[in-house]
Parts: sequence; C-alpha cells; structure tokens
Amino acid sequence: MSAAKFLVVSFVVSLAALVASRFASNEYFFYIGYQVLQFAVLATAWNILGGYTGYINFGTPAFFAFGAYSTVVLHKLTSLPVPAMMLVAGVVSGVMGLGMGYLTLRLRGVFFAIATLALAIVAQTLIVNWDFVGGSRGVYIIRPEMAPIHGTYVQYLYTLMFALVWLSVAVARTVERSRLGLGLAAIRDDELAAEASGVPTLRLKLISTTISGALMGMAGAPLPYYVTYLDPTSSFNLSYAVNSVAMPVIGGMTSWVGPIIGAALLGTVQQLATVMHFRVDPSVNLLIVGLLLIVFVIIAPNGIIGLFRARRRGAGR
Amino acid sequence: MTALLEARGVGKRFGGFVALEAIDLDIANGERLGLIGPNGSGKSTLVNCLTGTLKHDSGGIRYDGRAIDSLSPHQRTRLGLARSFQLPKPFRTLSLVDNLRIPLIYTVGARTKAHHLSDAAAQQRALAVLADVGLADKAHRLPRDLTQVEMRKLELARAVASAPRLLFADEAMAGLSPAEVEEILAVLFRLNEEGITIVLIEHIMRAVMSFSTRLVVLVAGQKIADGPPQEAIRNPQVERAYLGE
Repeated sequence: MSAAKFLVVSFVVSLAALVASRFASNEYFFYIGYQVLQFAVLATAWNILGGYTGYINFGTPAFFAFGAYSTVVLHKLTSLPVPAMMLVAGVVSGVMGLGMGYLTLRLRGVFFAIATLALAIVAQTLIVNWDFVGGSRGVYIIRPEMAPIHGTYVQYLYTLMFALVWLSVAVARTVERSRLGLGLAAIRDDELAAEASGVPTLRLKLISTTISGALMGMAGAPLPYYVTYLDPTSSFNLSYAVNSVAMPVIGGMTSWVGPIIGAALLGTVQQLATVMHFRVDPSVNLLIVGLLLIVFVIIAPNGIIGLFRARRRGAGR
Repeated sequence: MTALLEARGVGKRFGGFVALEAIDLDIANGERLGLIGPNGSGKSTLVNCLTGTLKHDSGGIRYDGRAIDSLSPHQRTRLGLARSFQLPKPFRTLSLVDNLRIPLIYTVGARTKAHHLSDAAAQQRALAVLADVGLADKAHRLPRDLTQVEMRKLELARAVASAPRLLFADEAMAGLSPAEVEEILAVLFRLNEEGITIVLIEHIMRAVMSFSTRLVVLVAGQKIADGPPQEAIRNPQVERAYLGE
C-alpha cells in the first residue's frame, strides 16, 4: 500500500471507529478508552527508538510528564486550545529527546537504558522543585465548563487522543517504510557496519530520539485536563516506562502494528483488572504486565506479529 | 604519480600499549597491496585508523589530496573509502538486497544528490552487485541462511555497493577452504580490473603472494618491509618475525 493510500485508509478506519465508539452510552467507557489510546501512542512512539533503532528507552515518564507539565504552564499563562498545547508539548519533549540523544547516544545497550532511567529521575526532581507548577504538592487544573465539540469534556479528550493515535501510527509507518527507516534498521543491526556503509548514525539516532520524544510529549499534554489534579509521583509513574516497553515487546517491534496490538491487549487487561478491582493493591497491574512480559519473551520473542509471520512462513513452505 | 591515500606518521596507543608507531604508507591508485603481519601486529588497527573507526593519536592521513583526519567513518565511505570487516557484520534482520541498498542509498545516493538515486535504481543495482559475487539466488533471504563463504561474499558485496575507489578487505578469507579462497580471490581480481584499488589484509600467504603487486609487513606496530612481494618476504627482519632466529 502506498503511503498516501495508507494515510487515507487509516484515517477513514480511525474515523469510523471513533464515530462508532461515540455511541457508547457509558461515560466510563471514554474514561478507560482514553487511557488505552494514550498507551497506544506511547508504545508507538517508544517503538520508533526502541524497535526501529534498537535503543531501549526507560525514560518514557520524563517525556510524557514534560508534555503534561508544559500544558500546566500554558494553562496558567495562556488560554490556548488543547490541540495547540499538544503541539507545544511535542516541541518541548522533542527538544528534550534531542538533548537526551546528544548526552547519551554514545552509550550502547544496557548503559543507554540506565542513562534514560536516570533522565526520568532528574526530570522528576526538576518538577518537584518547581513551585510554579505545584512542586511536590501537585496542581489542580480546572477544566473549561464546555467542551469545544459535542459531548462531555472527557469525550473531547478521548477524541483528541484518537486523532493522536492516528498521527503517531502515520508517523511510525512513514518512518518504517522510508530510507530513514532502512538506516535506523542498519543501526539496530550493527552500528559499526552501518557507519562503514555511509549511514550518518549519530544524525539518524538524534532524529529518532526527537520524533519518539515529541510523540510521547504530545500524549502527555491532555493529561492535566483528564486527571484535573497532576502531581509528580503519578505523572512520572514507573508504569509508563514499563508499559511502553512491554507493549511493543508483546505486540512485536519490527512493525507499527505491534505496539498497537500490544497496547490494545495490555491496556485492556489492565483496565479490566482495575474495574473488577480484586480488592488488591493497584500495583497488581504492574504484576500483570511483568508476568505477560516474561511469558512473551520466552514463548514469542518476536511478539504477536512474529508468531503470525512464523505461521505464514511455515504454511508457505 | 601522487598517491590515492597517504598516511604520515600514523600512531595509535591503547593505554600504555603502542599499537601503531608512526606508520608511513602510500597507496597508489589501482594497485593491489597486501598487508601482512603476525597476530596483534596492528594490521586491523591500521585499517580502523585509515577508515575512521578508530581515531589515530598522531600523524595525518590524506586521501585524494585532502586531509581526512577529522572525518567520521561514514564521511570517508562517501568519499570512496570502503572496508569489509574481519568478522562479517551483516544487517541480520534485513534481506541481502536490503543489506546492499543501505550503502547504495546512504553512500552512492548521498554522493550524487543532484541526480537522485531512485528506489528502483537502487534495487536494480543491489541485485546486480549480488549477481556479481554469485549471490543472486539468495537476494531475498536473510543473512542467517548463508554459508560461511557466502557471508564473506556478502561482506565484500556490501563494501562494493558503496562504489569505492579504495577497498580494505580485512581477512576476507580467514577460515575458508582452498577452493573458497580461490573464489574470493577471483572476485577481488575482478574488482581491481574494474578500477578499485584494493588493500588485502590476510594471513593466507599463498593468497597474498598471488594477489599483491606490493607487500607491506607490520610487526609490533612498526612497518618493517614495503616493496615487491618476493623481496619483502626475503627481508631478514620479516623472516625473523615469522620464523624466529
């Protein structure tokens, strides 16, 4: 399928799914749906650096929360509409991605992963000590009374997140099929050989961290309006890091489809666990993710799409 | 005649260990240069310094009349300085064609930005280079499906795909059978006839002696001989290094 055709088809499919889901009568559906969609964006964004380029990033919370906190700042200073705030958050977290790339991309493998984890902690410390955005106490955000479109405010945020899923899938697929994607795959497979083949590895890696970070920031931007109370502990939560790694790993990292499958599966399972609240600690969610991750790494190291591909190849022989 | 590549006093240390000590080396356009030396004598380190994988500590390198000391490896590849690796480093998740499309797009494509290299042209060229080394029928397979000798051919093909003027073949024949060595040699001879200057780093003396028009011998980071192959190996210092006192 050509890129233009894919954009049109995926847009129509997303729109149809969005319209269909808007008929849901239960407001709680949108509340849950928003979170699943948000994870779909995070997983897709993570996969651009983690899956395509081969750099495992545990710093998702930093990019995500910086997006959210850029909205807090904009909310206090301006009256921009939320989509505009998402764009600003994309720029903020994209610049952060670029900076992180410059500082850490000399490191490889597990050392890079550790550096990104450290980045999340440094970023959180920064926010905790910044009174203007509430510091460690957190900050209350009062939603506008009316949503700019038909329906409740949560439905509006749900719609925005739906659009962002479409955008991030379009970006991921474009990268995947482009010459940039081929260069990133070369870096993932062997960085020395990539460089010897003329691939400007540093520049490509910086592009990758920037795109990935920008999309994560955009995913975080509507969060303050969604939760109406934002604090560093919840916005920099480890579950964002764990989920954005686990979802692509479980779905499959070589294609844009993988993170979406992973997010739909893991996101739904976790929401169900929360809804049915087994009267246990809420961190049971992380336990579920951890167990699924272990199971998949053992039985399906190439994720769910890897299983399907193996079967198709087996049938073809 | 001016040299295609000129190294002057190139030195490299790893901590207290001197890997290369002020190496002078000229490589003339179109020649077939053999580079030999015992294990650990600095052959690969020299190649790494010349191609930019390692930064040399002293001296200077000129290529085609310009200093290239500060250029990164991918910039040197774009200028026409290609290498194959001692241990093949294929892009293991990509098909053989895609393995070759990478240097085509990122080297040949980047070099000729004015006349854009189309996807179809890159694909066609990749298939042609694979056919040249006898891998046409495996073009859409993954590197893990290749035999050892095919892996070496892929390694050479990927270097050749960048359309180099100077190719460093780093132990392209290690571990191959005599018949396979002949196959690789034939490929290298043909590339040289097509105008590519070749530096062959090799332990298999029979291959080096039949291939090279000139021989350079490194021992313990120093160049101890440089000249016609038969003379170079009769040099007393070389005999001492290889055979002992």
